[in-house]
Amino acid sequence: MTDRRLPLISGHWGAVVLLMLLSGCDNPFDVHPYDMDLHGAHDINNTNIKKIQTACEGRDTLRIAFISDTHGWYTQTEAELNDINQRDSIDFVIHCGDLTDTGTTKEYIWIRNYLERLRKPFIALIGNHDFLGTGDEAYSWMFGDKTFSFIVNRLKIVCLDTNAMEYDHMAAIPDFTFMEKEADNSAGLFDRTIVVMHAAPFSDEFNNNVSKVFGYYLTLFPNLLCCVFGHEHVDTTRTIYDNVAPFHSIDCAQHRNYKIFTITPDGYEVCRIDF
Amino acid sequence: MKSAGLIFSLMLSAVSLYAHGALPADTTDNRDSIKYLAGHTGKRVFIDKAKERNYDKRIHRYRKNWAALIPTEIVLQNAGNMGLLSLGMGWNYGKHRQWETQLMLGYIPPYKSNRGKVTSTLKQNYIPWSIYLKDGNAFEPLRCGLYVNTVFGHEFWKEQPHRYPKKYYDFLSTEFRLNIFIGEGYTKIIPTNRRKFVKSLTFFYELSTCDLYIRSMYIDHKVRLEDIIGLSLGVKFQLL
Repeated sequence: MTDRRLPLISGHWGAVVLLMLLSGCDNPFDVHPYDMDLHGAHDINNTNIKKIQTACEGRDTLRIAFISDTHGWYTQTEAELNDINQRDSIDFVIHCGDLTDTGTTKEYIWIRNYLERLRKPFIALIGNHDFLGTGDEAYSWMFGDKTFSFIVNRLKIVCLDTNAMEYDHMAAIPDFTFMEKEADNSAGLFDRTIVVMHAAPFSDEFNNNVSKVFGYYLTLFPNLLCCVFGHEHVDTTRTIYDNVAPFHSIDCAQHRNYKIFTITPDGYEVCRIDF
Repeated sequence: MKSAGLIFSLMLSAVSLYAHGALPADTTDNRDSIKYLAGHTGKRVFIDKAKERNYDKRIHRYRKNWAALIPTEIVLQNAGNMGLLSLGMGWNYGKHRQWETQLMLGYIPPYKSNRGKVTSTLKQNYIPWSIYLKDGNAFEPLRCGLYVNTVFGHEFWKEQPHRYPKKYYDFLSTEFRLNIFIGEGYTKIIPTNRRKFVKSLTFFYELSTCDLYIRSMYIDHKVRLEDIIGLSLGVKFQLL
């Protein structure tokens, strides 16, 4: 209304940005941060477990890269994944949870885009941050069951959802029925076990009313090599229960380190990798 | 006595009928307000006196204030982190009607979750310029503002529930989102003789983002501006 020239000139930037958006993205419309408008790869864990089992068949040594707590640190995550890609000896990758920071649909798509750059198959557990909003539904769609297990070369890897506080302690978390079933080796399909979880017992997220019971259930697993967890953003090894194998924590991506577990017929070795 | 009563009641109904017929147009003008209350603008003395009464001034103000709450526009908009589609009403005000406040309800389809969700939005727009082109066309080179969106559902909370330790998710509300936007609009004014209910139509687009996405970009620069900016298209029906 005052100066007609100024707004008319500035009016063209919008048209340019609009064209860029419409041509550059597949869907330029954002419905909602928690809209669950997901496409592309889903049920990733089940798909990749099959890949892992095929690729590792008959191998006597397994090398597993454990990463955790990538949150929104994409620069460090990318460096971490690049480092893993450079190591050809790694058989597969396990993410111990907190894939996202706020559980938004976009964050799930972003972290999937990064993880899909891995040359080796990966699986992911759910972390407490991944529950936020519709995050737990997004995880279930994208990765599959929150509690699951698989056997690779007679090694059983049990992945447990231990984020009891996200359920307000109103769910069977950790799921003892599942643990009891998984510990049963009457079919003789496996010789050794590794238990992976996001939050370790006695941490703020765990249902600490049953921490000792959890320790007892861990003793049921045949030849438990070790437990692996994330959540605490530290690199440590802890003996939580006297009669249970040690707990190894995986640091967050921001601290620029992760661990490679080499499982040989005689035992296992842990190697911290700084990148 | 009976006939006197009948005559009186007839007189009363005649007066009321007359008063009803004399009701003026419903406007917010002060004089009209008094007319409406008095029912008649004849030579009767008490009406002239009523003009001076504070009661009338007050009641006029009361009517005028409530009348200001009548929505002046209806708006239909897609995306913008408010749902697939949002419908709402709004009020524009200011010297050049450059301010706009809108209240909207949006719908998020289920997509890959098990149910759809409803959202509500309170939106404040600022449209500093409207340039009249010709033949009833106008162009708004800038629309900008911010809005708060609430999503309804058991999985969302305003602030972290009591079960969490203090400051566990301190930064976050999964229910409320603060959004900012910038855009442009084009208005088609409907000629007076062809108007039915709508005075003008405005087609607009907005580029918006929300607090969570800005936070993501702040945490890591790998998240680029084009990753967090969404397009929204809408149409505004100006009624008043």
